[in-house]
Amino acid sequence: MYSNAIEVKNLTKIYKDLKAVDDLSLEIKKGEIFGFLGPNGAGKTTTIKSILGLIYPNNGFIKINGKDVLKNVKEVKKNIGYLPEKVSFYNKLTALQNLRFYAELKNVSKDRCMPLIEEFGLGEYANKKVGQYSKGMLQKLGLARAILGEPEILFLDEPTSGLDPRGVKWIRNKIQMLNEKGTTIFISSHILSEIQAIASQVGIINRGILVAQDSVDNLSEELKIQPKLILKFDRIIVNVIADKIKESLKKIKEVNRIESSGVYLTIYCEAKKWADVIFNIKKAGFDVKNINIEKSSLEDVFMKYTEEK
Amino acid sequence: MDKTILYLAKKEVMDNIRNLWIILVTIIFTALALMVSYFGSMGQGWQNLQFTVMGLRELVKYLIPIISLMLGYATIIREVETGSMNSLLSYPIKRYEIILGKFLGLGFVLSFCIFIGFGISGIIIGLNISNADYILYLIFIFVSILLGLAFLSISMFFSSIIKSRAASMGLSIFFWFFFIILWNLIVLGVLFVFGKTQSYAIDLINPITPYFKSIDMSINSPNLGLFGLNLTVPSYYTIEIMYAILLIWIIVPIILTFLIFNKKDI
Repeated sequence: MYSNAIEVKNLTKIYKDLKAVDDLSLEIKKGEIFGFLGPNGAGKTTTIKSILGLIYPNNGFIKINGKDVLKNVKEVKKNIGYLPEKVSFYNKLTALQNLRFYAELKNVSKDRCMPLIEEFGLGEYANKKVGQYSKGMLQKLGLARAILGEPEILFLDEPTSGLDPRGVKWIRNKIQMLNEKGTTIFISSHILSEIQAIASQVGIINRGILVAQDSVDNLSEELKIQPKLILKFDRIIVNVIADKIKESLKKIKEVNRIESSGVYLTIYCEAKKWADVIFNIKKAGFDVKNINIEKSSLEDVFMKYTEEK
Repeated sequence: MDKTILYLAKKEVMDNIRNLWIILVTIIFTALALMVSYFGSMGQGWQNLQFTVMGLRELVKYLIPIISLMLGYATIIREVETGSMNSLLSYPIKRYEIILGKFLGLGFVLSFCIFIGFGISGIIIGLNISNADYILYLIFIFVSILLGLAFLSISMFFSSIIKSRAASMGLSIFFWFFFIILWNLIVLGVLFVFGKTQSYAIDLINPITPYFKSIDMSINSPNLGLFGLNLTVPSYYTIEIMYAILLIWIIVPIILTFLIFNKKDI
């Protein structure tokens, strides 16, 4: 059994004089949720479209379930679902007519369409023309279209863009449910919290180059991004005070860095020493008003990898 | 059997058949044929189908090309612009199937309008005259459909090479203006500058020419040249050549459309 759902090797796509994707290689195992991150215009959509055979790369090859996409169109695409960045249907046809058309193309029973529309909460609008649908409804219908025929691999390009918080949560739950059933999910986004909540692996793309691919934890570790302890004091921390505090924490080797700003002090330190840190500060005679903890987040990782050089 | 092309064609039909203007066009075809037959004779009542065809084609020459161009000029670019092409291509479909499915679907809609529109009027006229030449009338409907398919094929080609709907529409209108309005002037120019042989050869480029000539030949009327001048047409002006030219205008643009679309980044 082939264990990679998606394999991309040396993918390069050049538009006129812009290298949209530059020598990108990726491997995504079956059953994973792969979060594909990058600033706007980094090459996320170009990569997805190349994987799906919508655009032709200048170099590189792409395999889905071990098969070349461009050479095995019919076979490969039977097992793929795709939610494009810009969801679009045939506006003059109803939701049901649209889905039935797609069901035919995928050789899926047309009886599946209505239950699917109902499952996505669009039952009462099934016979309305899609042209009258709101953005949120379109996004849901788009996801319904993508999972029609229960594909093994799902590509979601910015699935929550333009949705309200309720819609975002709804789609996130749906993605997790699908993944639990074994669907491999390739999800692109520039909203980090969204990816951090669900992805087992992330890839970060910046200016067409894949700068990292790993789990969120490993990436944090690799970058030595440590959790932060943020303490609030009853007075502004002037340099003299900061120096005194630093002095009091000298003995704790795990403290890496201390930054002060107004009444706040940020201490970069491993979590197991947090209690010691607070104890020592109190012992030195400073009153800690409030304690806040910030775990290393994907945002830190992302910022580090995509910062302007 | 793989029915993908059929499904794609069916979707095009569903998407277009309820279009108000498609129904309108059918009604216009019927009304035109009836008017040409009844009023074309200056108050002598219904004319036979032969005269009807002779009069009708002068109008069809303007109408069918522009209707066909309007049916197809946006078909590919619209889906690329709105994004529905993205989803379509993520499905188990080969690109040639999209082109063929669209052509067959739109071609069916067009043929249906022409057939029904002229068919109804043909029957009405036929009931009012004696010795109705239905064969000739059917040939007229048939070549009118071929003419429509040729312009549909051309418009699909435009919709594959042009990057915006508006520009594709512009090119379609220019194409229509060039071949329908300007053409006679161009052929006349060639006739005066180079002579008869060259002007006859050039004239065959225009799909309207084989449309007219094949009807002429079916009616077996005297050779009518430009502006009704009685000119002897060259020997290669045969009905087979006329049909062949129409077929070339149908097939070549569709093949080009496929070749371009097949390499296109969506």
